[in-house]
Amino acid sequence: MIRAIPIIVSQTIASGFVALIWLFIPFAATAQEVASSPPSSDYVSRAEYDKLKAEHEEMKQELEALKAQIGQLAKGPAAAPAEGKQVVTEMPSQAATDELRQQVETLKSQVKETFPGSTKFLLAGYGTAGFTARSGEDPFFDAAFNAIFLWKLTDRLFFEGELELEFEDEETTINLEIAQASYLLNDYMTIGVGRFLNPTDYFVERQHMNWVNKLPDKPLAVYDGLLPESELGAQSRGVIPMGPTKLEYVAFVANAPGLITAPDDFSELGTLDFDNDANVGGHVAIGGHVGFIPIPQLEIGYGIQRSKVGPRDQAVEAILQSADFNYVQDSPLLKGLINFRAQWVWSHVGDFVYDPDGQQGFGPLEFNNNRNGGYVQLAYRPTHIDNDIIKNVEGVFRYDRLNQLHTPVGFDEQRFTLGLNYWVTPSAVVKVAYELDDKNGGARDQNAFMTQVAVGF
Amino acid sequence: MKEIVSRIRKWIGLPGAVIIISCVATTWLISCAANQQSGQVSAAAATGKGGAELWAENCIRCHNIRSPSSYSPAQWEVVMMHMRVRANLTPEEHKKILEFLKSGS
Repeated sequence: MIRAIPIIVSQTIASGFVALIWLFIPFAATAQEVASSPPSSDYVSRAEYDKLKAEHEEMKQELEALKAQIGQLAKGPAAAPAEGKQVVTEMPSQAATDELRQQVETLKSQVKETFPGSTKFLLAGYGTAGFTARSGEDPFFDAAFNAIFLWKLTDRLFFEGELELEFEDEETTINLEIAQASYLLNDYMTIGVGRFLNPTDYFVERQHMNWVNKLPDKPLAVYDGLLPESELGAQSRGVIPMGPTKLEYVAFVANAPGLITAPDDFSELGTLDFDNDANVGGHVAIGGHVGFIPIPQLEIGYGIQRSKVGPRDQAVEAILQSADFNYVQDSPLLKGLINFRAQWVWSHVGDFVYDPDGQQGFGPLEFNNNRNGGYVQLAYRPTHIDNDIIKNVEGVFRYDRLNQLHTPVGFDEQRFTLGLNYWVTPSAVVKVAYELDDKNGGARDQNAFMTQVAVGF
Repeated sequence: MKEIVSRIRKWIGLPGAVIIISCVATTWLISCAANQQSGQVSAAAATGKGGAELWAENCIRCHNIRSPSSYSPAQWEVVMMHMRVRANLTPEEHKKILEFLKSGS
């Protein structure tokens, strides 16, 4: 019995030891797996899972809300459904959008064209303000406004009128510069009747507008000098294309100028009165101008007007002539625009006996009145310079002259003018110029400083 | 006879000759034009230049060129009719320049 007790104890200890081993094996295996796997922190706990699930649900709801919002935006502004009408929810096609846009543009254009002055009738013109300080005279400011009315009555009939309002002798004067109806007879001829700019004088017809003329004042002889500024009559004009060249022509009949035989100012004796609207003397002037354009940059022209002037029973012949040369070249080599113009005019009034009976106190006085004059002008603007200020600056030089020493006026005159312009826009300019004056025959030289602002519209 | 011719020559002179030549040219032009339909562009005028080029060439001869946006298409119609008369533009030049200006206005 005593021998049996140690056997039972030893068997129990062995069984316990084996049981311990068996118990240890799973723990040992688990311990090996733990050593080769990621840290236990990557495992999601229930709380974390629930939190993630809640966030996922929230994001799903936000996504649905965004989808709904985008859908509404694509359909355009929500229109209130009218009663009995179906709400359109389809997206407009690109073609429909383009068509709608085109209709809107057309309507805008039509509305714009109904504004006053923009359909068939156009109010254009130019305005000027200036300052002149001329030696021997009081300096003064001046201003002028020229309103030009253009009216296209039909595709062939056209009316043009111009009123000039300016200060003159402390008064505001209004002059009718142009009042002409033109009819396009065919491709090569236009007929015009009324008051029109003198076609023989290139400067008057093309350059005298203050926003076009490059200096504050106008050249001697060609403007307010030896040729009339406008004619009252009828003209026919047109252009003959000849390959790459063109030939322009104008022919006209008009009231003849009057002959000044009893002037208030003796220096005007034997000159022509171009404001002879009543056609005193009853003479008719005929004239014309031809211009040839061999290349687009160059135009050469010649104009003439011939008429009888003076009292009907003592009429003498008056011949006015003009030659013009105009060259405008945009030169990449000189990095700018070259503008060269020249014009010379001649005035001849035949032999006439003034104050034949001596009643005016200076006669009888018999003479031919032959005068001539003109100008040469060069302007340069560096339009190719890549600087917004410099490219709008223009330098101008002009030489103009009037030869009349052997007439009652009694002096010749020549001027040298230097000018500097700044073009604010293509039709708005600020001009500054200094003019050196030189008169022969005892008359006083009158140098001048001039500024002018001119705006064309 | 010689005396008559001499007197006519003296009376006409250079100015008269120019006027006569102008009148003859005008008469010839009318006869030419009468044989053409209205608005037809002569072959001689077919320069092949575009409206933009003609616009630059013709306008700059007298003044700075204005932007096509200066006027509306309807206003350009009026302006260009005025310039056709004043600047002696050919029908082709008038048409092409007007098209260019209207497209850019």
